[in-house]
Amino acid sequence: MSAGTDFIAPVAPIREPQLAPLAAPAALDGAAPASFGDLVSEGLRQVGNQLQTSQADLQRLATGDVENLHQIMIRMEEARLSFQLMLQVRNRLLESYQEVMRMQV
Amino acid sequence: MDYQNAFAISAAGMSVERLRVEVSALNLANANTVAEAGGAAFQPMRVVARAATANGAPVPFAALVGRGLAGPAATVETAQTAARRVLEPGHPLADAQGYVSYAGVDTTTEMLTIMRATRAYEANVAAMNAARTMAMKALDIGSTP
Repeated sequence: MSAGTDFIAPVAPIREPQLAPLAAPAALDGAAPASFGDLVSEGLRQVGNQLQTSQADLQRLATGDVENLHQIMIRMEEARLSFQLMLQVRNRLLESYQEVMRMQV
Repeated sequence: MDYQNAFAISAAGMSVERLRVEVSALNLANANTVAEAGGAAFQPMRVVARAATANGAPVPFAALVGRGLAGPAATVETAQTAARRVLEPGHPLADAQGYVSYAGVDTTTEMLTIMRATRAYEANVAAMNAARTMAMKALDIGSTP
């Protein structure tokens, strides 16, 4: 019986995966690490700034004070991308919150 | 953010191509101008785009991207072409022999320049759109279909 299955190598035991320890996020300006809420509000502020920039660009385009069109379009695209990123982050946060709320206790 | 570098590079390319079209339009607009008698005719101009170099040596890509705007540097220079002399006796700006000096603009060359610049501009837009599509796709990671 065993002679027939000798050619099969025994299954190697499952090893615990070696993961590098999670490094603490570096402090932003040498101060204590910012809280998560601060990070979120900072990101929101940046997205708002970009939206305001593209709005100012559009205003200048409407008044005819335009130096080049592609720069305005590119800034608008940048603002859209940051907004989408913000939206995706918000989706993930909301998802995890709802997951926790649905948890049986 | 990282994709802004790709946008800035494409924007620099677009600026150069737009300058090319503007200069060609200027040449075409002046193609039929006549020089004052004894004066110089309009000199057609051309855009000379140089690759970004540091002391004559090519700059590595990472340094170019880190600079934010890795675009070529473009300058507008006059092309030394001879004026087109046409015999038009009786023209108010004709010289003593009855010749009039028109600007030495080659319409075919200018049209070709415009067409080439348009295509190059489109290529820059395509590259920028590709970078944008990649960034948008990256935001789709993990989203439920």
